[in-house]
Amino acid sequence: MAMKERLNKASQAKAWYGELPVESLYTAGIAGEKFFRSIQKDGVFLGSKCPKCNTVYVPPKIYCERDFEKLDDYVEVAECGSLESFTCVHIGLDGKRLPEPILVGLINLDGASTSLIHKLGETTVDELCMGMRVCAVLKPKAKREGKITDILYFKPTKS
Amino acid sequence: MLKKVKKVKTTKTKKTLRRTSKATQNPIMNLNKAKELNLQFQGTGLSSDDFKKGKVCTTHWLGDTKYAWDRGIAIGKYLEGLKQGKILGVECHKCGRKMVPPRIFCEWCFKPIDNWIELLDTGTVNTFSLCYVTWDMERVKEPLLPAVIEIDGASKGMGIMHLLGEVDPKKIHVGMRVKAVWKPEKEREGAITDIKYWKPI
Repeated sequence: MAMKERLNKASQAKAWYGELPVESLYTAGIAGEKFFRSIQKDGVFLGSKCPKCNTVYVPPKIYCERDFEKLDDYVEVAECGSLESFTCVHIGLDGKRLPEPILVGLINLDGASTSLIHKLGETTVDELCMGMRVCAVLKPKAKREGKITDILYFKPTKS
Repeated sequence: MLKKVKKVKTTKTKKTLRRTSKATQNPIMNLNKAKELNLQFQGTGLSSDDFKKGKVCTTHWLGDTKYAWDRGIAIGKYLEGLKQGKILGVECHKCGRKMVPPRIFCEWCFKPIDNWIELLDTGTVNTFSLCYVTWDMERVKEPLLPAVIEIDGASKGMGIMHLLGEVDPKKIHVGMRVKAVWKPEKEREGAITDIKYWKPI
C-alpha cells in the first residue's frame, strides 16, 4: 500500500534540488545612520542616552529597551573601552573553514552601558584577557563608507 | 576610568534622511493617498534612488539559498513516469475520481490510494493566460502561455498547469484540444519540464 512504502536507504529518497536567489539591503535605521555617519565624518562614536534610566546604548537605539523611552539624546563615547568577552572564530558564515581564524570581541566603550561586537586585531588569542583595554582602529577617512567595516578592528592598548 | 561624556548637538534626521514630502513619489507606498485617508505612518520614506546614491547606510547581502524538496511518494512516481514519457494518475476506490497530479490519499474520502493509472498525453485547455512578465519579474515581448490543461483519461476538471506552444496567442481558447510535446527521451530527467509544451491538435 502506498502509504506504507518505506525507504530503507537514504539514497532512495528522491528530492528536487534548487537554488533561490536572495538579495537584501538592510538599512541602518535612524540611530544606526547617526552612528555610522559620525564615525565616517568625525571618527566619533555616538551612543543614545535614556533620560529615565541613564543607560547609554552603543550602538545607539531609538528607544530604551528597559522603559520604552524615546531616545533622541545622542552622546559621544570614547573610542577605547574594555574587552568584556572574546572568541576565536574558525568557521565562516558559509560554513567553510576560514583561511585565518578571526578574533571577535564584545567591547564596552568608555561611557557606554552596552557592548559592541567587533573584530580584534594586532593581537593573538593568547594575549587576550577579559577586562583588557582596547581601542578602535578606523579606516582612513577617505575610504570610510558609513558601514561597520569603517572600523577595521579593535587593538589592545597599554593602560 | 570613565571619560566625561560630551553632548553632541543632535542634527535633525531630516537632513540625512529623505523628507517625507519627497517620499510621496514612492510608487509602492503612496503617501498622498495615505494623507487623503488620514492614515499616519511612522518611519522614513525611502526611494530606490536613495539607496543607489548611498544617501542611507546599508548592508548588502547576497544569499545562496539551496534547497532540496522531497518529491514524496506520489509526485516521485509521477516524475518517474514523465521520464518514460507517460502521464500517471491515480484513481480513488471509493469516489472513483481519476486524479492528476497523483496523490497518496483522496482529499474527499480520506482514503489511501494505490490504484495507478496511465493517462493520455492529450487534453483540453481549461484556462489560460498570456503572461508578459517572467516569474522573476522581467518584462518579455513574446508572451509566455501558461494554461491549466485537463488531461484525457482523468476526471473532469482534473488537470495540470503547463505551457502552450506552437500556437498563435490570439487563437488560444478555453476548450482547445492540445497534445504534449515531449523532450527527446535522452534529455528527460524526471521533471515537469520533460514535457516542453502543449500544442494544438
